Amino acid sequence: MNETSTNKRPLILKAENVHKSYRMGATRVKVLKGANLSVREGEFVAVIGASGSGKSTFLHILGALDRPNEGDVSFDGHYFSRMGARELNHFRNEMVGFVFQFYHLLDELNVLENVYLPAMVSCGVAGWLGTRGAAKARARELLETMGLQDRIRHKPYQLSGGERQRVAIGRALMNKPRLLLADEPTGNLDSATGNGILEVFEQLNRAGQTIVMVTHDERVAHRAGRVITLADGRVKS
Amino acid sequence: MYKLTLIIRYLVKRRITHFAVLTVALCVFIVVVVMTVMSGLVGEFKQKNHAFVGDCVVGTKSLVGFPYYEEFMQTLERTEGVEAVSAVVKNYALMRREGDARNRGVEIIGLDPVKHGQTTNFGQTLYHQAGDVTKAFVPAYEPNAVGCVLGIDLALWRNAQSQYTYDAQPAEIGLILTCFPLNARGAPAGAGSVPVSTKRFQYNDHSHSGIAGIDGSTVYIPLEWAQSLCMAGVLKRVTALHVKFCPAVSLEQGCIRVRTLWDQFRQSKQGASNAGLLDTVTVETWKEYRRAVIAPMEKEEAMLSVMFGFVGITTVFIVFVVFYMIVSHKTKDIGVLKSVGASSQSVMVLFSGFAAAVGVLASCTGVAAALLFLSNINRIENWLFERFGFQLWDRTIYAIGEIPHHAEFSVLAVIVLCAIVACQIGALVPAYCAARLRPVETLHGSRT
Ligand SMILES: Nc1ncnc2c1ncn2[C@@H]1O[C@H](COP(=O)(O)OP(=O)(O)OP(=O)(O)O)[C@@H](O)[C@H]1O
Ligand SMILES: [Mg+2]
Repeated sequence: MNETSTNKRPLILKAENVHKSYRMGATRVKVLKGANLSVREGEFVAVIGASGSGKSTFLHILGALDRPNEGDVSFDGHYFSRMGARELNHFRNEMVGFVFQFYHLLDELNVLENVYLPAMVSCGVAGWLGTRGAAKARARELLETMGLQDRIRHKPYQLSGGERQRVAIGRALMNKPRLLLADEPTGNLDSATGNGILEVFEQLNRAGQTIVMVTHDERVAHRAGRVITLADGRVKS
Repeated sequence: MYKLTLIIRYLVKRRITHFAVLTVALCVFIVVVVMTVMSGLVGEFKQKNHAFVGDCVVGTKSLVGFPYYEEFMQTLERTEGVEAVSAVVKNYALMRREGDARNRGVEIIGLDPVKHGQTTNFGQTLYHQAGDVTKAFVPAYEPNAVGCVLGIDLALWRNAQSQYTYDAQPAEIGLILTCFPLNARGAPAGAGSVPVSTKRFQYNDHSHSGIAGIDGSTVYIPLEWAQSLCMAGVLKRVTALHVKFCPAVSLEQGCIRVRTLWDQFRQSKQGASNAGLLDTVTVETWKEYRRAVIAPMEKEEAMLSVMFGFVGITTVFIVFVVFYMIVSHKTKDIGVLKSVGASSQSVMVLFSGFAAAVGVLASCTGVAAALLFLSNINRIENWLFERFGFQLWDRTIYAIGEIPHHAEFSVLAVIVLCAIVACQIGALVPAYCAARLRPVETLHGSRT
């Protein structure tokens, strides 16, 4: 996407001075030491860095799946630290879609159910009866664009890694989130399959989807509009 | 909505869940079967004792007995709430068959068959004279002889399945009872000569009270004969008055009333000849009167309940372990659910709902299996006996006809409720732990 045009777009995600450390017995491992990042609506940002540099940790914090020890993240101007549990759940359900490095599909649900899971989570039994039809149609449509229309009744264990990752992307897009976070979506896939996934991302981005993608592969990263590097616990662009 | 879907899937698809259901069902099954059989046995035994004794007993443990009983009987019979009163002499005797020199020790109960039949179930325990209790001591073919009734185990043989071989007519047997009469001071009567009295009775019927200790050792004879055989002295004495209350009168109320009346009566007799014998008399409910035989049964039942309390605790622990395992296998799911916006509470509801589903399914399965088993328990026992000679209760020792198999709805409801609560308790800690997990904690390092 054209850089000048994106620069005019509103800021959607902003990480400010994010610190994160883990306690390992007596010592504290400092993973993030003041990471900053601003993402504008419609941007496709790739985060690269060495293994263990804290990319996944940073992405989890951006998606409100973890809390920083210091600093804060805001989405649309709303700071996570000031949101209650209910608002955070709403944010995770509606505003953000997360694609994990290891897919994380539910074994007991079939492909279609895995995709419409976020729609199910946000409503009760009665509400579900009302929205089920639309949710199923949306999930089917997503699976069709991923080329998985023939596998909707299959269970995750019956799928290949690439297919599982596409199901996970479908799930992340189910509730039409404004932000898509992907943690090494191609990390476990061969280059052809990984290429397919990246094409999906590019297509989504062209349609206006904001994406932040973590990878350690420079070639993958250059498919994104902007590449930032995470090193020494800080963002270097 | 996802909760319901996932609960059903976890229930159907996960083998470990099937084991949890099976474990809980088995516990429920055992508790239902044992509780039903045990409480049935105890209940039946109590009911038989109640029927045998009547509601209340004014009696003495002393073989000498107490005088002035007729007066007190009249007082009682006039009392509101009292339906019937029967005077009884209990004593010991030697019994032998006519033409046979061997004696055996028996307990004798002297009673008025009509009054005793009104007070207790004596009439119903008879076989040949069941229709007409007045004939209990009147032999049909020897009207001038005095008849007696034998406890059924003294009269008939019982086979291994607790079944008797009944005669169409009472066998023509003469029985000689030898008693040791005591005078009012409690000394053997007629000291110096041979202090025994002997009398021939005609076997006329047998009595089946269902209480093994009674049916195997008791001979019933007319009250007057018991008095003349066992008690010497001018004043007529008995050892007990059995009282039956009207249905509207509660056991406690009735006994309190009788106790008051008895105290007044005793006061009024102070200074009368042999009034000291009245001091040995107590007023007891049927339960108190038979506590020596009922207490051990109740103790067993209580012990059993305690033991099943432990079974319950074990169930909770097993469910806890199973759920802990399920939850630890499902931490990834919890992370995924939370990452798509599920709240901690709803994760908690998911797992406790799952526990409740396991509880309901398991206890229904357990109860259904237990009811099926109970409805066939006697058939199963018979088959085991015919095939392998195995009997749960040796019928030559225990006076049990059928094994009780009527489960009470309230008991079932309590057991089912306990099972569901046990599952809830067992799942509480794992569900709480699951709900507290932060999404990344569960997803980090899990690679599927
Ligand atoms: N829950 C945790 N407890 C302790 N240490 C952790 C935890 N999560 C991450 N770390 C540590 O933080 C550091 C950064 O981890 P992270 O997963 O963010 O790295 P990464 O850049 O994504 O690596 P990779 O490219 O291999 O996925 C690592 O050293 C890791 O051991
Ligand atoms: Mg990582």
